[in-house]
Amino acid sequence: MPVLNANSLLLSKGRRLPLTDIFANYQVAARFQIGLSITGLSETVDFACFGLDAQQKLSDDRYMTFFNQPQTPCGAVSLAATAGDPAGFCCQLDKLPTRIDRLVFTAAIDGNGTMRQMQAGYLRLLLADTEMARFSFNGGDFADEKALMVGELYRKDGAWRFNAIGQGFNGGLAALVRHFGAEVTEEQAKPKPVENKVSLSKITLEKRGDKISLDKPKTANGYGRIVCNLNWSTYTPQKKSFFGGQTAGQPIDLDLGCLYELSDGTKHVVQALGNCFGDYGNLPYIHLAGDDRSGEVAEGEFLYINGSHFDRIRRICIYAFIYEGAVSWTQADAVVTVAVPGHPVIEVRLDSQGKNSNMCAIAMLENSQGALKLTKLNEYFSGHEKLDNHYQWGMKWRSGRK
Amino acid sequence: MSISLSKGGNISLSKTDPSLKNVIVGLGWDARPTDGADFDLDASAFMVKDDGKVRSDSDFIFYNQTKSTCGSVEHTGDNRTGAGDGDDESVIVLLDKVPTDIQRLVFTVTIHEAELRKQNFGQVSQAFVRIVNKDTGVEVTRFDLSEDASIETAMIFGEIYRHSGEWKFRAVGQGYAGGLTALARQYGINV
Repeated sequence: MPVLNANSLLLSKGRRLPLTDIFANYQVAARFQIGLSITGLSETVDFACFGLDAQQKLSDDRYMTFFNQPQTPCGAVSLAATAGDPAGFCCQLDKLPTRIDRLVFTAAIDGNGTMRQMQAGYLRLLLADTEMARFSFNGGDFADEKALMVGELYRKDGAWRFNAIGQGFNGGLAALVRHFGAEVTEEQAKPKPVENKVSLSKITLEKRGDKISLDKPKTANGYGRIVCNLNWSTYTPQKKSFFGGQTAGQPIDLDLGCLYELSDGTKHVVQALGNCFGDYGNLPYIHLAGDDRSGEVAEGEFLYINGSHFDRIRRICIYAFIYEGAVSWTQADAVVTVAVPGHPVIEVRLDSQGKNSNMCAIAMLENSQGALKLTKLNEYFSGHEKLDNHYQWGMKWRSGRK
Repeated sequence: MSISLSKGGNISLSKTDPSLKNVIVGLGWDARPTDGADFDLDASAFMVKDDGKVRSDSDFIFYNQTKSTCGSVEHTGDNRTGAGDGDDESVIVLLDKVPTDIQRLVFTVTIHEAELRKQNFGQVSQAFVRIVNKDTGVEVTRFDLSEDASIETAMIFGEIYRHSGEWKFRAVGQGYAGGLTALARQYGINV
């Protein structure tokens, strides 16, 4: 059990001091503990330690210590809570490579709460189970932060110092990780545009019916953010008149969309027509970002599928259709890419001579006992209803305009 | 080569840097990367007589009164966030133009609305104040506010003063609570 120490140093927010002021006769080979606690929140709080370089970036993500990665490769930092603390770390700083310049101890709320809702919290430093210093805080010290940098140990003029930071980000863990310069693959992250340049790692499904099965996800994050992109390389960038009539020329407006069927049997559509843009964070976990009506957006149109919830999805039929303008698919020269994090980008080129058919089924994503199965379709139809009938979706259709 | 002064230490500016005629007191800090109220640090100068008081309110050079009537002391402008590289705020002193009845020029750094925003220097990254020879660009001395005054909200950085016909600088480095108002009253300003 930790020993009570009436002489424990009280640290206020912003306080910076040498570690030798906290631990008398401190040597870098000494092992000490950091204890962390936040109480009064109904959501789970995840604590982590980020080992940053001199630019204050997480250049080596093995130096993020948390429940999925309980210690650094060097063993300098490991997850180890002292009795009485909900979370904690054991540190031995002489083991740390010199390129690691600071250790930031963080707390992030996993849910909708904010730090102002906490009752109380602390970060304390212990030596041989005896508390030597404590930085206490409470909900009144914060506003809408969802993630905090609670405190940090850092090198300064050849010695280690401690700073009681107590600052954070409303954007939660994702904002925190971005602050540390790391890639974010979780859902709040900004969409990363699919690269349009030809990459050798791309897999192109040439023939109709080609299939790719992606292995079952091993992480809790499922397949991450699946990004579908429709782009067309030739277009006449002319604007539509206010009432939707055509001005001179023939601007091409291609739309990306999908039919989906959830594991509970719900069937619907995500597309700009009818303003069915979906939702990324909630059902159906599919989101159409914007509507590029002119082809002026260089990246084209994006459809995002939240792979973290792929277990809720039975199948998705991705299609593109000519809303107006393009005379033929060959003229539109459209390409659809599907990018699943950690896998090569899959590219489907719409090069068939599908005259008088304004709709093309591109690919089918199916949940095959938990594994994501992708099939190239490349079938042309004269409208939604025909496509629906062909793949036996079974929805009712009526015409509309956007 | 910048001389690092410890608290209370003083140097003869005239001897250390005989070319020193014009001085920049530079203040810099990093813009806040986290959410919450911006860090707004202010540099100010008090021109005081040998009794340690100003002649009048016009001897207080700060964000609302950026130039002394004699023209010897000038504040280059208020930076409210710390955005930008190098010095974010500076006070320029033309030593030859300082009126003879002014014995000392006191330089302070304060955090605007520190109490309300619950801020102190330790929460700010890379906060420093320094003295630079304006004509050569050479730094004479500097304080690291974040480290040396972490739990303070106001600091008397130092003073340039007359001594036996030359200019000297004393590194005061004394932190205070109470902000700019308390400091201004101390030097005889009506606030």
